[in-house]
Amino acid sequence: MKIIIVGAGEVGYHIAGRLAAENKEVVVIDKNPESIRRVVESIDVEAICGSGSSPEVLKTAGIKSAGMLLAVTDSDETNLVACLMVDAIAPSTRKIARIRQEDFDAYHDVFRDQAPHIDTIINPEIEVIRSIEHLLSVPGAADVSEFAGGRLKFVGFYLHNGNPLIGGRLSDLPAKLGGHTLVAAILRGEELIIPEGRHVLHEGDLVYFISEENNLSRILGALNLRVKPIKSVMIIGGGRIGTRLAAVLEKRPIHAKIIERSESRCRELSGLLDKTVVIHGDGSDQGLLMEENLRDMDAIITTTNDEETNILVSLMARRMGTPRAITRLDKFSYFSLMPVIGIEQVVSPRLSAINSILQHIRKGKVLSVRTLTGEQGEIIEAEALRTSDIIGKPLRKKFFPTGSLAIGIIRGENIIIPSGDSVIEAGDRVIIFTRRQVVSQIEKILSVKLEDI
Amino acid sequence: MRWSFVFKYVGAVTFFLGLNLLLPLAFSLYYREGDTAAFLGSMGMALVAGALLFLVFRKEKNDIISQREAMAIVALGWTAAALFGAFPFYFAGVFDTFADCFFESMSGFTTTGASVMTHIETAPHGLLFWRSYIQWLGGMGIIVLAIAILPLLGVGGYQLYKTEVPSPTPDRLKPRIRDTAKTLWKVYLAFTLLAALLLMAGGMGFFDAICHALTTLPTGGYSPKNLSVAHFDSAYIDVVIIVFMVAAGLNFSLHYQLLTGKPLVYWKNPESRFFLGLILILCMAVYVDLFGVVYHSLGETIRYGTFQVVSIITTTGYATADFDQWPSMSKMILFLCMFFGGCAGSTAGGMKMLRLLCALKYCYKELFNLLHPHAVSSVKIAGKVVSDDIMRSILGFLGLYIALFALCAVVLAGMGVDFITSLSAVAATIGNIGPGLGAVGPVENYAGIPYPGKWLLAWCMLLGRLEIYTVIIFLVPEFWRK
Repeated sequence: MKIIIVGAGEVGYHIAGRLAAENKEVVVIDKNPESIRRVVESIDVEAICGSGSSPEVLKTAGIKSAGMLLAVTDSDETNLVACLMVDAIAPSTRKIARIRQEDFDAYHDVFRDQAPHIDTIINPEIEVIRSIEHLLSVPGAADVSEFAGGRLKFVGFYLHNGNPLIGGRLSDLPAKLGGHTLVAAILRGEELIIPEGRHVLHEGDLVYFISEENNLSRILGALNLRVKPIKSVMIIGGGRIGTRLAAVLEKRPIHAKIIERSESRCRELSGLLDKTVVIHGDGSDQGLLMEENLRDMDAIITTTNDEETNILVSLMARRMGTPRAITRLDKFSYFSLMPVIGIEQVVSPRLSAINSILQHIRKGKVLSVRTLTGEQGEIIEAEALRTSDIIGKPLRKKFFPTGSLAIGIIRGENIIIPSGDSVIEAGDRVIIFTRRQVVSQIEKILSVKLEDI
Repeated sequence: MRWSFVFKYVGAVTFFLGLNLLLPLAFSLYYREGDTAAFLGSMGMALVAGALLFLVFRKEKNDIISQREAMAIVALGWTAAALFGAFPFYFAGVFDTFADCFFESMSGFTTTGASVMTHIETAPHGLLFWRSYIQWLGGMGIIVLAIAILPLLGVGGYQLYKTEVPSPTPDRLKPRIRDTAKTLWKVYLAFTLLAALLLMAGGMGFFDAICHALTTLPTGGYSPKNLSVAHFDSAYIDVVIIVFMVAAGLNFSLHYQLLTGKPLVYWKNPESRFFLGLILILCMAVYVDLFGVVYHSLGETIRYGTFQVVSIITTTGYATADFDQWPSMSKMILFLCMFFGGCAGSTAGGMKMLRLLCALKYCYKELFNLLHPHAVSSVKIAGKVVSDDIMRSILGFLGLYIALFALCAVVLAGMGVDFITSLSAVAATIGNIGPGLGAVGPVENYAGIPYPGKWLLAWCMLLGRLEIYTVIIFLVPEFWRK
């Protein structure tokens, strides 16, 4: 199946890279010759320099034989027009568009049912707000994803000096953590480890646990982390993400302050938000942060469009003693640097967009996809179909390829953290952790062989 | 620059070459002319050397290849191919020195067709097949073939493809480079089979037809006969070979488009139009020069005139007449044809039509701007603007081409080779043609060139085939800086 990607920005570029590595036919369209050059020189995909909303360019890209269109430019308008053109030229092509403006929020259904017929609309900002909420809900976690409506949590923690788990073998962990928990993956520097009993935890590892929600406190206990509810939050940057976040926090018993540099935007914000304190000023001004009592607040969330500012403000806040700092980051090349300089909680609208798009590209009944930081691994949640090979055999029979691990089974109301004896039944939702290299094999295992209705 | 990474790829290419020796081995087993041991030995060497290189450096990840690495892989890969391709000649004892074997092998892979073999027909069939087959491998590019076939060379395919394909702007027929390479090789294979069948239909034997098809499509020019195509003395065979030489001089992506049902592609593409038009004009000029002087019938004039012009401009290098004896205007035209070459993306050598066309349009633009100093104009090909980057690389290429031609000709003349021979030998090797004029004319060969001269010419062939930049970059001190 050919996939056409309109927009070779960070999102388009990374999706193209992922798909090319999985041997899919990809054509990328972008207006900027520099972006096109970057794509051509590092990814094995066809790249066309031109406007993605132009029907001529879309035809050259082979839209008529394409199975899917991803419109992920930075401009909502371009994405909408690209979908509209494709709807006219090749109506059977599946369309996924990234649309971010809040004004369009109410019209997502209209876009699906009427003219552009966009199959899926992705708003990474909504996803990012969700990730921030998840991060706030688990203290000390560097990465949190939820499955089964929040009852199953996938949580990553860094093991710092003095952590009681350092030096322990994985086979000894169940005794400490109880049976409802499993170590799903370990990220050691750049290396991704699919855990086995013999592995030993090192200092500096990023350890991913999968756990039932009510067992989370045991993990936190084992990690020596105290659960302290968040009561006050400082938001830096009153852009779209900052504003949406403040609006979400207002609905909870959380006191929020938002610092925005532009005075006119502050005026707008004071109209949009009710309980949140809107402060006009430079978020990177230490004096202002002191004045606003940052050191006594429970968390700071930096959401400006300028990631360097976000990083610096988060670092400053950590030095001033703020217990939690969540940083918005977009440039992927910075991700691996963050733990080194002490920034652990990172959210990225682009990574969120990539996650949602991958979920929709995956074949079979894939319900959700999460990418790990560093892009080395993916978590796929999928429905086990009756015709699939994975049904009815104990997991130890190893029908999943090396480099992948079943980390959770959701059967109706029950959640099973699998062991070698667990058996997957038809209709189960299976959560699989997989290395990027074996994603296509997993896809093959999960997808339906004959049309199963 | 990760040399271990480069060596891993070079190892894979060498191993791949070793596998290709199976084909001539089959011929030598069939004909039983005592060259089997030579093939087995060379094959063993290539397989062992390739596998060793690959295994030693296997830990290098299949990562993105940088431009610099791609150039090193292609240049070294080709040198390794020419080196290991030379061993069958050496072990079979066809030549006295390894320099001759390497020259013959390099001339094969680069599709030059300049030979140092004096008694071709007495050589074993297996070896003659190998001589033709390496031209066929080199024509479409051995590294691209390795990418298309070996699954381990997937990731950085585009850089290698771009470096090996003789074109300033390589076409991409399919989104994935492996598919593009496969498609081009399929078209190439189909044309080769068709040529072989048509030649057999004209009464050529199976072996000769295969060998000639294998050297026509890559515009190579090796022939298993001492007299080249003139041996057959058949107008039908001449016509078939002319048609396929022209086809090989056209961009292979156009052939693909033709096969996908667009019959007018050759006419719509400005480069192929320019190429076909130029052939027509040059042929006319040669007819006028030859008619009544060398040939007395119009039929003969057209038959021999067309064949030589097409053979030289497509850089094939077959001969059906001793054009060294022709009047000087025809000789001059043929000499110039050595520089022109075929279209970009073809298997031909030379400067390529696209570059000449762009340069001509650029010259016109300069003149136009002299008349209208404030005019803003751009060079367009088929309605598309040629970007400044590409224009610069084209002009740089043409400058380097002429400069290196001049330099190598002076060096060759310094080795005691006469004026005409030095000029034409360098022009014919750097342009991947084969026969030149004077002592390297169509009825002579390169055996008489002094040994240092042979190494120099072998280097010129590589220079021409890999389009200069890839080879010359090694001589730039900046390349070696960290």
